[in-house]
Amino acid sequence: MRHPTEGVLRRLLDEPAGVSDPDRRHVADCAQCLTNLAAARSDAAVVGAALTDTTPAPDVAAGWARLAAATHATAPRPAAAPARRGRAGEWLRRPAAAALAVGVVLAGAGTAAANDWLQIFRTEEVAAVGLRTADLVALPDLTAYGDVVFTGDDGLQQVPDAATAEELSGLDLPEVDALPGGVIGEPEYQVAGELSATFTFSAEKAAQAAAEAGQSLPAPPPGLDGSSVRLDAGPGVAQVWTSSSGIPALVVGRAVAPTAFSSGVQFETLRDYLLSLPGLPGDVADQLRTFTADGSTLPLPVPSDYVTTSTAQVDGEEATVLETRDRALAAVVWVEDGVVTVVAGVLDTDEVLSVARALG
Amino acid sequence: MATSVRPDLEEVFRLEYARVVGVAARVLGSRDQAEDVAQEVFLSFGRSRVQAGEAGGWLAVAAAHTALNLIRSGRRRTSREETVAATEHAVVPDVADTVLTREDRSRVRAALATLPRTQAVALVLRHSGLSYAEVATALDLSPGSIGTTVRRAESALRKELNRHASSD
Repeated sequence: MRHPTEGVLRRLLDEPAGVSDPDRRHVADCAQCLTNLAAARSDAAVVGAALTDTTPAPDVAAGWARLAAATHATAPRPAAAPARRGRAGEWLRRPAAAALAVGVVLAGAGTAAANDWLQIFRTEEVAAVGLRTADLVALPDLTAYGDVVFTGDDGLQQVPDAATAEELSGLDLPEVDALPGGVIGEPEYQVAGELSATFTFSAEKAAQAAAEAGQSLPAPPPGLDGSSVRLDAGPGVAQVWTSSSGIPALVVGRAVAPTAFSSGVQFETLRDYLLSLPGLPGDVADQLRTFTADGSTLPLPVPSDYVTTSTAQVDGEEATVLETRDRALAAVVWVEDGVVTVVAGVLDTDEVLSVARALG
Repeated sequence: MATSVRPDLEEVFRLEYARVVGVAARVLGSRDQAEDVAQEVFLSFGRSRVQAGEAGGWLAVAAAHTALNLIRSGRRRTSREETVAATEHAVVPDVADTVLTREDRSRVRAALATLPRTQAVALVLRHSGLSYAEVATALDLSPGSIGTTVRRAESALRKELNRHASSD
């Protein structure tokens, strides 16, 4: 009789009942097969030990909560420019804005205290900070730590033509040279005014929020209570091509990039304090700290479980390229002379990049 | 774009989550990373039309592939926290463990990513407790070929360990 195969010998170790009787009888009486069986047993034991799962059992309830949050989250919105948002104010109230605001504050580190509003940050470029969806949900909402006041929140206004859009926004409307395949028709023009968000830290509110969450709040440093940060962005303008299903097939937007101002506190103080607040994941905090180097890079929080990020050159500027993992949406964002431009749509990255590079 | 999520997602999740994390953890050696992989896999499953009866095998194969991709693309984090966590949890009451260092484990995991993909996935599924029949169904292979596939993978990984042991 021929010797059973190495596969049969291997199965004999795990599932002897799955091996035929003649094969089993042969192996029992065959020195060569017994040697091979011993070798298979030894290899299996060593590899099995190396592949043993030594990690603690996962928390199924917590896992489900995370997945439910991810599946119920709204569709990923890879672009960050105010022109892409339905209502900029709504967006700023979302938790992701907290990360943005923290990032802006960080980027201003190194600026001394001021008695009046002092510009501490002007966006020169953007860079993506990857967060998991669960992290975005868990980020501290700044309204729990103080008062947030929005001004100029009039939302997007539809205007009849490009000339009106340029006149109202004061921005040059990017001209799209050639539309990507599948995008047809005339665009709609939308304009948004300048938007300001002012955050005034309140030690009392912060302590209350922490107590409600059952967490201990780090003691605020002296002078922080009542100090403010103001973030200005816009105006902005957008051209939107809509597909037959009503989904924007292509958005080309431009806006005055965010600028931040401070009042009444050393920025290092506020930065370090915000970074110590419960809820900000450690690796995200570390990443945000790296943005202090030049004081001009705007961190763009993106859900990394939905979106992949990379960089590319557009017009000699480094641009951030975002693409949803299912490749349904792509966007490219870059900043030039204090103006942020975004090209986004139901397209792939090559298509958004070629639109971006051909903008007039 | 909003995508609809299949209605049986929660039921399947509660049934399969621990095993899916386990499959990924065998490849990655980190629960945090394994849970990230599991989330990604269940998100895909939630948007898929995989039949409920095939969900277990589909999820296990997807977890193995995703975890192997993670190793292969070198995206693994090697943060201090993770190293500490791995050390804390590396308590294995197994005789073979006494001769395997943590470096050996890492080496085996790295070598996994270099194996032919079917071999690597079959090996991980088998060591995750799937039967030969289940592995065969999940990978659309004949049950008779699983033993050979697993054996070859183990032999290759053992050689990888021996190669490093002799060069140390």
